[in-house]
Amino acid sequence: MENKKIEQKLRQEAKTLLQQRRVDYIIGYEMGSLKFTTTPLITKSENDTDRLVVNPFIVNNLSVYLTEVKGKVGIVVKGCDSRSIVSLIQDNKIAREALVIMGIPCPGLIDLKKVELLLGKDRDELDNITRDGDKVVIMVDGKESNFPATEVLFDNCLVCEFPTPQEYDVLLGEPTFPVGDITAGQAKIRQLKEMAPQQRWEFWKNEFSRCIRCYACRNVCPACFCQKCFVEESEPQWVLPTPKWQDNLLFQAIRNIHVAGRCTDCGECERVCPMNISLRSLTREMYEIVGELFQYKAGMDKNALPLLTAYESTEVEDFIR
Amino acid sequence: MINNKKINKRDIGNLLNEWSQEFTVFVPLRESGVAMLSKWDGKDTGFMDWHRNTVQPIKANFFPPMEEMFSFQKGKEGYHIELPSSDEHKQLIFGIRPCDARALIILDMTFKDLYEDPYYLPKRNNMVLIGLGCTNPYDSCFCTSLGINPGESADVDLMLTDMGDQFLIEEITEVGKELIAKASRVEEATEADEAEAREVKEASYNKVTRKIDTEGIKEKLLSCFEDQDFWEKVSTKCISCGICTFLCPTCYCFDINDELVRRQGTRFRSWDSCAFPVYTKMPMENPRLEKWRRVRQKVCHKFEFYPMNFDIIACVGCGRCIRQCLVNWDITQTLNSLPTRV
Amino acid sequence: MEQEVGWEPKLLGFLCRWCSYAGADLAGISRKKYPANIKIIKVPCSGRVDPLFIIKALRLGFDGVLVSGCYPGDCHYQTGNYCARRRMAITKKFLEYMGIESQRIQASWVSASEGGKLAEVVTEVTKELREIGPNQLFADGK
Repeated sequence: MENKKIEQKLRQEAKTLLQQRRVDYIIGYEMGSLKFTTTPLITKSENDTDRLVVNPFIVNNLSVYLTEVKGKVGIVVKGCDSRSIVSLIQDNKIAREALVIMGIPCPGLIDLKKVELLLGKDRDELDNITRDGDKVVIMVDGKESNFPATEVLFDNCLVCEFPTPQEYDVLLGEPTFPVGDITAGQAKIRQLKEMAPQQRWEFWKNEFSRCIRCYACRNVCPACFCQKCFVEESEPQWVLPTPKWQDNLLFQAIRNIHVAGRCTDCGECERVCPMNISLRSLTREMYEIVGELFQYKAGMDKNALPLLTAYESTEVEDFIR
Repeated sequence: MINNKKINKRDIGNLLNEWSQEFTVFVPLRESGVAMLSKWDGKDTGFMDWHRNTVQPIKANFFPPMEEMFSFQKGKEGYHIELPSSDEHKQLIFGIRPCDARALIILDMTFKDLYEDPYYLPKRNNMVLIGLGCTNPYDSCFCTSLGINPGESADVDLMLTDMGDQFLIEEITEVGKELIAKASRVEEATEADEAEAREVKEASYNKVTRKIDTEGIKEKLLSCFEDQDFWEKVSTKCISCGICTFLCPTCYCFDINDELVRRQGTRFRSWDSCAFPVYTKMPMENPRLEKWRRVRQKVCHKFEFYPMNFDIIACVGCGRCIRQCLVNWDITQTLNSLPTRV
Repeated sequence: MEQEVGWEPKLLGFLCRWCSYAGADLAGISRKKYPANIKIIKVPCSGRVDPLFIIKALRLGFDGVLVSGCYPGDCHYQTGNYCARRRMAITKKFLEYMGIESQRIQASWVSASEGGKLAEVVTEVTKELREIGPNQLFADGK
């Protein structure tokens, strides 16, 4: 299997990096403790590199650890993650020289929530899930069923334009092309835009009534690296910790504006929300707004200025009196 | 001889309607893809076809994510304080799992020990729990290691066992007995029913494959408390969000805040988490600034401090923390790999 | 959504100290009339305005927010208003997508010598807010 070969190369590369002391840490993925789950592996030990894996479930955006791990890091990235790293370099949070980036061209990852919905079974009730080109083969109770990959990949994988890492030191595998079903991945946002503003606001009011302010969305995001988040500010207190829908909505709206131009639509925020809030319908729209207004895509050029600290002498101001 | 009862699943709707006269009935519902105990709409009994535990834990019904404590207004003579109107309706929770039922016993210890919590207790004392034995535990469940049987519970008022078309009903408390005595379409269980129920319970018990060794766990944790290397290694991938603590049925930490507008305001309490970096922040210092300290505290609170002080492990093995953790941090892996110093 | 009798729109204005606020001063001295619906907060530069202030103002009950600064090229701090321009463009579009009426978030360039323009801007904005009605966005429907 293609993945197996990439895995072997990755393990070899990571081991060598540690052996030659070119890095202090390796950050990658290893098998998780639940079915069809992987978990971050952050290690200084060469022996641990034998546990590194590459499979359709390597969902975490590992660049979130780069702002806390000290020393030189060898990190495994997919397309979206590599852009998060570039974004962090633009913000001066990490130095390019402190990284050895091992890029993995990504064919898109499997969204277990979609699989569970399709089959009416939870992930631990499935026997096996494998990706075979543009098909996904799922075995349940000994029986196999095939699905087109586009039905079970994450929405953000479906709209991904850059599945091959943008910035890397070593590329493990052949560059890959977008899975390309942009319309499917944008379905929710289009639906929302067809609603009248009041209806849209009601939708968000409803979504954020479920929010319990666990801050999973914020903590999993590599672009949210503030030592003190604005929600933790008590003088002045912008938002109470109390999860009232008004404040939950305010929190998420401002979080999105704060990460504008740095969010690469890796989709982690929506995946991790325990209350199933449609967060990507906000993050993706911000991504589109930034692209439309300023022709800017997050994380493409490590020498560029971050979006909100840059400007052109003439740019959109038709809304200004 | 204990004579248990039974009821056919198609009569449950009727039974719940009868109980609705006296109680507000809560059942496990999946709304917007999130399973939680919500008010029953009075009609749909489709929830019985779903055999797993909820995402939001039972504590949310007695200790909600956000609760108004009182409102206040500043007048000329001082402050005028108003308590929130109490919900007179008693709650009937249908379908609580043995792990969550045990969790309530552990939560009770906080809310009615030295201080009786006037928000939690009225709800808790006025409610009825109808337990439901698990037939399809998750692979993340590990209740059996904590002395909890997924098929049995002494912490509920009535205990139901799912036998396909019908439920076996065991009366656990006097309250449960009374409830069932007045209920219609409840029959006596036969020997065959009892035997079948026993099989179902045993099968459920055996389906729980995840295990931890709780033998001497508090001593083990005590001995490795200072092992910074171990705790740093174990905690590296945690990203300090609050999911595990918020969804844990035995976690009880809360924060109190006032929402002020000019001369009036409301005091709220809301869930707080020891995983947050600012949880122990104080003017002079933050004793748990480093992540490894917070992770250590979370594990030790449940498996060392509680046993030391109250002779009970503050965990019921529901597995929510494992299922929902964004990075698949697994407490059972940590507990099973504690460095033991001989 | 019924308007209370005698409802007046509440507008919050962030005016930059060097241009727009000076413009407001000039409007006062020149006796140019403009509605008293605006409450003005003086900021050193329009670039000081964090989108957080805008949505917090709406959360607190203001019916609209106006951010006003120096013309591009004239910023006392060279580049502050360029940053504000980008930030306001993004904020306005994003909050409109979420469902906030576009008239509630306004921006203008007003220089220190334009007392008349400031009066005009405030008058027009107040009129627009009066037309769309009070801000019920964050009201508790329950």
